[in-house]
Amino acid sequence: MSNDHIYDSAPWTPFYRVATGADHSANQSKEKHFSNIPAMVVAAAKNYKEQPAFTTCMPNGMNGHLTYSQVDEMSDAFAVYLREALGLKAGDRVAVQMPNCLALPVAVFGILKAGCVLVNVNPLYTRREMTHQFNDSGATALVIIDMFADKLEDILANTAIKHVVLTSISQWFAPLIRGVLNLVLTYWNKTIPKHNLNAQWLDAAIETGRTIQKEKNLDVSAYWQGLQREETALLQYTGGTTGVSKGAVLTHGNLLSNLEQVNSVAGSHIEAGKECILTALPMYHIFAFTVNLLAFYHKGAHNILVPSPRPIQNCQRAFDNYPITWISGVNTLFNALLNEEWFTVYPPKTMKVALAGGAALHKSVAARWRSVVGTPIAEGYGLTESSPVICFNPIGYERENSIGIPAPLTEVRIVDNNGATVGLGDAGEIIARGPQIMKGYWNRPEETAQILKDGWLYTGDIGTMSEDGHFHIVDRKKDMILVSGFNVYPNEVEDAIARLSQVQESAVIGVPDSLTGEAVHAYVVLRESGLSAQDIIKHCKTELAAYKVPKKIVFRDDLPKTPVGKVLRKDVRALAVKSEKAAQQ
Amino acid sequence: MLSPFEESLLSIMMVIIMFGMGASLTFKDFKLSMRHPQAIGIGFLSQYLLMPFIAFALARILHLSTEQTVGLVLMGCMPGGTTSNIFAYFSKSLLSLSIMMTICSTLAGFILVPIWMALYTQGIDDAFRIPPDQIARLLFLLLIPTLLGMWLRRKNANVGAIIELTGGLLGAVVILFLVVTWAPRNWRLLIETSWQVYAAVILLGLVGFLFGYLFSRVMRLSPQKARTVSLETGIQNGPLAALIVIMTFTGETQQLILLIPVMYSLFIVLNSTWVTVLYRKITHREEQARDQAKVEPS
Repeated sequence: MSNDHIYDSAPWTPFYRVATGADHSANQSKEKHFSNIPAMVVAAAKNYKEQPAFTTCMPNGMNGHLTYSQVDEMSDAFAVYLREALGLKAGDRVAVQMPNCLALPVAVFGILKAGCVLVNVNPLYTRREMTHQFNDSGATALVIIDMFADKLEDILANTAIKHVVLTSISQWFAPLIRGVLNLVLTYWNKTIPKHNLNAQWLDAAIETGRTIQKEKNLDVSAYWQGLQREETALLQYTGGTTGVSKGAVLTHGNLLSNLEQVNSVAGSHIEAGKECILTALPMYHIFAFTVNLLAFYHKGAHNILVPSPRPIQNCQRAFDNYPITWISGVNTLFNALLNEEWFTVYPPKTMKVALAGGAALHKSVAARWRSVVGTPIAEGYGLTESSPVICFNPIGYERENSIGIPAPLTEVRIVDNNGATVGLGDAGEIIARGPQIMKGYWNRPEETAQILKDGWLYTGDIGTMSEDGHFHIVDRKKDMILVSGFNVYPNEVEDAIARLSQVQESAVIGVPDSLTGEAVHAYVVLRESGLSAQDIIKHCKTELAAYKVPKKIVFRDDLPKTPVGKVLRKDVRALAVKSEKAAQQ
Repeated sequence: MLSPFEESLLSIMMVIIMFGMGASLTFKDFKLSMRHPQAIGIGFLSQYLLMPFIAFALARILHLSTEQTVGLVLMGCMPGGTTSNIFAYFSKSLLSLSIMMTICSTLAGFILVPIWMALYTQGIDDAFRIPPDQIARLLFLLLIPTLLGMWLRRKNANVGAIIELTGGLLGAVVILFLVVTWAPRNWRLLIETSWQVYAAVILLGLVGFLFGYLFSRVMRLSPQKARTVSLETGIQNGPLAALIVIMTFTGETQQLILLIPVMYSLFIVLNSTWVTVLYRKITHREEQARDQAKVEPS
């Protein structure tokens, strides 16, 4: 008998009332439906005119800001520049590669207003990764931060990029501040390299756009008014943790749906035009892109942009100088804040809610946050492929170790390897269907067919559902280790190892083994010495079934990680396989 | 020694530097430093118990003359100066704590310096005392610019950042200037001075840093606070000591005693610079480690 009904009856529905604080079905969102993102941007500018939209806050407190009207006017002019001066057409790909700074929202909104497709590029990418992403997306124009102009210069000839627009962290700071900051960045931090790129500066590009707009008496809305929700807005690259990087095709409708979903569940906690959100996560990442840049912009919030949140002291002035009410972060960010005396002794009094995502929020971090800051910390779950939110914890009713309930209009099931739903409480792959799920991977029908089946997104995450419709993540499917036919979930083993106070972190992986198929190996980083491999194995034996206990412990000074701080088990596995091979020879 | 013009120029620079230091602070920082008042107490003890004793012991071990002993013990009894605040800032220690300690030790010095001097230098009849106007002057130099800097930063973060940068830059320039020019300017003095005096003034600072740190760690202060106390302990107010000597003694005795504060002031800038570079590196490493560390169970 099929188990479909367990999931399709949506046992989580009663919790929507809890989430929205109102007695209406969250499936009928009261939010106004925009047909594309520029329409949302223009509406926000109309509502919040001279209110601050974005402020960049440097580690030393230097700052610059833009109002809603300025962002709107400048992104209009930039759209004109792209279409008229560069001759781009609707649907052309334009890449944006920069950390959080004032130029990012202007470039992003300008590109979307021009009817072009945005390609978010991680500024920390290597030359090889940049080349791959530019060529794969077919981007012909790029807006890039001057900090990485040297990387671009080396590879530009190998790409199809014809137009380069440069910007800087200090863009639109007051002139004196900008000058001083550029001196500091160039000569003290040495983060602005010399280059010989043939490029236009962003403010000059915008000025050109303004002039053309005036001369031709152009109506910018003509570029975007006809855009439908099915049309592509963004190529968001993903797969860095699993394989070759591919572009998730996200439409205006995907992103707007997710914005509406966020609003319908968190909206009752957001006071329009009054919030101040700390954006320490990079906006080129889908979490901050949808939540901070889109959803909170739509609500008239003041976004405080921190260009680099590491070390965490870089956020201190932002907390000192602005009345932060919301923060979005990943586990490592909250963890780092909670290790700072200046934060824990005087936690921001204005704070209302913290949103966690990107990676599992640890129980100890969540508990500490609630006791120190005294606000809810709500964990959500999603993928780049789902714009990103699939599940969330209703604010104020969060559950420990749970990713919460599906977003409104989203169906979630748990299935076995054949795609058949599993019984209540059983572990299986989480699959999801809803308006936020991507169209597919850019130019990759095979990969798309593997992950999208009948409109269902196969997340690759193993999870379970409780009786009342709350979901729990067990582990990544790809990371699962098969020991003599038994499933071992690395998270469970890592959790056991983490209970030893001398351990800072660990990565548990499977290594091919002639006897058991795969063998469990643990790569461990100690925070203090005095722990032997035998101690760890002995401890694991008391906590775990025998087949889950690591066969081998390797001590390391650090572990390979993604820019967001997720441990790259794939890289650890490669290390392990290499050292095993070397040992056999 | 510096000419009167140079001295007033230095004073003005100190005001600007402290203005900049102030702009790096908030009232919250001071509240944080007062959250562990034992840190101030421990700093106080290491400054007024350890340092005079270290000075006295060094003078004995190195068989310094009576005048040199007086000079060294006086040096050991001095409160911290604004220089210690600047080095605290550069070493990324707790500037707010450093400033609080400087204020407390300066005020207390008014009473404690004469008592310690009477105890350690019996046989020299002159009564030592810190002229009250000097204390007022120091507090003025320290407090007013600091408060002004803090206030301006609160008003406008951009202005605050510029002031902080200017103050920091000027501080670095002044330190660099002193380090680079002290040998050419004082070569005659350097040639004439005996090795015992060299050893005494160099060791006073270094042993002060070391004992200040160890004592704080034994008293269970955090490493960063211990580094702050260490700098505050080792760096004494050299110019104040010189001034007291000039006001208390005359003639040849004055010149003989004066040698110690002058030599101390020369070397402490050098030593503090190395120590600051070291402390800064350690602070940086700790920041990185904290970034990675697990949350402690509450």
